[in-house]
Amino acid sequence: MKIPFSDVQQSRKLESAISITVLLFIFKILFYSADTYILFFFNELLVFGSLYLWTLYIIDFIHPKANSPLSIFLNIGILTALIFFILAISTAAFEQETISNSSFVTSFFSLIFSLVFFGASIYIFTAFRELFFLRQKRDPKTYYNTMMVFFVLVFFSNLLIRINPDFDYPKNAFYVVTIVLISINSLRVAWIAFLPKRQKISLLVLSVILSVLFGFNFALTLEGNILTTTLMNFSAGFLSVLNLLMIYGTIYCGVIFFTALFHLPTAEAFDRKAQEVTSLMDLTKLITQVLDFKELANSITQITTKVCNSDSAWLIIVNEDNEYELASVNNIGYIEAESLSRQILKDNEEDINSLISISPGNYNVAIRNDLRKFKFNWIVIAPLNIHDQRKGYLFAARIKDFSFDEDDKKAIEAFSDYASVSLENAKLIEESIEKERLEKELDVARDIQYKILPYETPRVDKLEISALFVPAFEVGGDYYDFFEIDKDNLAFVIADVSGKGISAAFIMAEIKGIFESLARTYKSPKEVLIKANEILNNSLEKKSFVTAIYGLINLPANKLVFARCGHSPLILVRDNKAERLTPPGIGLGLDDGPKFTDTLKEMEIELNNNDILALYTDGVTESQNAKQEDFGYERFEKIIISNANAETDLISNKIMEQLTTFSQDNVQHDDITLVIFKMKFNNKTSGVS
Amino acid sequence: MADFNVNVRGVGSVNVIDVKGYLDAHTAPQLETAFNKLIDESQYRVVVNFDDLSYISSAGLGVFMAYVETMREHEGDIKFSNMQDNVYNIFDLLGFPMLYEFYKEESEAINKFNDQG
Repeated sequence: MKIPFSDVQQSRKLESAISITVLLFIFKILFYSADTYILFFFNELLVFGSLYLWTLYIIDFIHPKANSPLSIFLNIGILTALIFFILAISTAAFEQETISNSSFVTSFFSLIFSLVFFGASIYIFTAFRELFFLRQKRDPKTYYNTMMVFFVLVFFSNLLIRINPDFDYPKNAFYVVTIVLISINSLRVAWIAFLPKRQKISLLVLSVILSVLFGFNFALTLEGNILTTTLMNFSAGFLSVLNLLMIYGTIYCGVIFFTALFHLPTAEAFDRKAQEVTSLMDLTKLITQVLDFKELANSITQITTKVCNSDSAWLIIVNEDNEYELASVNNIGYIEAESLSRQILKDNEEDINSLISISPGNYNVAIRNDLRKFKFNWIVIAPLNIHDQRKGYLFAARIKDFSFDEDDKKAIEAFSDYASVSLENAKLIEESIEKERLEKELDVARDIQYKILPYETPRVDKLEISALFVPAFEVGGDYYDFFEIDKDNLAFVIADVSGKGISAAFIMAEIKGIFESLARTYKSPKEVLIKANEILNNSLEKKSFVTAIYGLINLPANKLVFARCGHSPLILVRDNKAERLTPPGIGLGLDDGPKFTDTLKEMEIELNNNDILALYTDGVTESQNAKQEDFGYERFEKIIISNANAETDLISNKIMEQLTTFSQDNVQHDDITLVIFKMKFNNKTSGVS
Repeated sequence: MADFNVNVRGVGSVNVIDVKGYLDAHTAPQLETAFNKLIDESQYRVVVNFDDLSYISSAGLGVFMAYVETMREHEGDIKFSNMQDNVYNIFDLLGFPMLYEFYKEESEAINKFNDQG
């Protein structure tokens, strides 16, 4: 509400209020009788000015207290009592006497006296104003401002009476209008509804006392006695306003009394609603702060008991194995709650699509051997649903024999909804932690993998080599390596560990160690693989195995010797034809007996110029497209054949390109490893002219 | 990934496991459960019927490796039957035929068990 000068700083308001009061004080001491009209006029003006400015100051002072209307009301009461006290005592004491001589001393005391009234009325007035605007939804300031204007008019209409005592009808008219406006404005008492029940009772008592006090005060300020004379001397306008204020108080307190009285029967319901709202707000806060579902479940059962007037509450969740699990209990033992809900759910589970209320009779709860009866007369069961899946039940039970009303049920339903949401939240958080853990694990695995694979391909005369490795999201166990045994012999290995993730990466690291040492100890690929099988059989898990091809190229002799342990065929492309070389051999780790040694056969191949050897893991041939077709050998071989004249780097790029086009949006499930050798004999040594 | 299904049925003293769909790292535990149950019941003669299996990954192969020893220690075995070509090729490449018995028909595998007495 916009009042002139109300925007001024608090300290400035105080300053101006004090200065005008000091001015008033000096004026009063100088011209205490205010005989002439002009003096009277200035007197009234000064009084009004200080009234106005003090009111402005007190408004800001009271406003922060608006949250506790009862304390404002109590302050009003104290001041009214004070006024009443002074009025009553002085009326009694000075009944016979009248102020005959306006001496300086009496004038000084009456001034102090008047200022006490002055201060009290300003406080009461601003307090009324604060209560008036409290909890108002629509803007009621027009009525209020009109009333203010009439207060001012009544104040100044005394000036007219001073001119001519018969000229009092404007004042009376203004007076009546002000009272009407006061009555209208007194009806704004919405704030009472929001008080808790106990405060309403206090208010009821207080308001009736206050209304009576205000009434007395009004009566005492109306009749002519020593006080009214004193106040009249202080300021005629102020006396009128004080008078009106007492009427205001009487009416307002009366209205407050009746309003409080009528609100009393609904006070409890209102309190409960308010509690429900605060509980829900607390829960909302909890949901965002508490990550642990159990903790939240405790709050939910507690609040359910409290808000819904139930004697016990408990929460059951359906876990991943579709079993009931008690999440929290309130006012009931774990065993009892569990046994009770088992019986209830057994009988009613199909019916619980939404909240149901049952009168369970006496369910028997066996605690050890002692049969006890639980005399819950009413139980409400609210289901917890997440995405149409049943995730649990919230129970609220009442011993007294009056059923849960609609409000109770709605509250319980709301609480069960909160439980569902928080349950879902807890699950999501758990999942994201698990996901993070997995991702970390994958990072470690990928790190190991990259460190194990050779940094670059060896540079060897007669041979062009290129290697390509594309890891899958979930790391596989692909491994390839080259060993330059001596200047004439180059050994190579490609292996694929079954399984994925960190365990596959560790096996891969082990394999690297095994092959690195064996390659330098044994020359024959068969021997290397037999030894590798022996070592791996001791360390591999039963269900793990490794497929591998180990080969040795003798460069001067243009000869390749290799052996295969369960690995995909070595592809030899020669003269535009591809050949899949699959010498017999069982995967490493599949058999620890002689069968492995017996079946493993080496294969020896004379290499020609431009021969291409392709080594790869099944990530290449088993890459799938959206139709779940394999990339397969034919496509793979065709690309090599049609690019046979190109350099090996280009061939592997072409293969990767086609592979990507083929599988498109399909996720790459396995590592892809591709090693390509191409024989490049120097013209001189090959003897071609 | 596509579905996977395990069904165990008894044919005389032999238990036949029908596997269906995709057998990979995610579905392998279902097959392991079936094997564990058989071992709990001291049933060591097992024929795995691959008639409806369309894909097997290395983790799927691992399941058989994990249990075959136990079966053989108790005079039983795991035998394979009715395998589609693409699935058989995977087993073949790995050298499984050297270590396991493969049959065209389930009945042949069962008979083999019964012949042993």
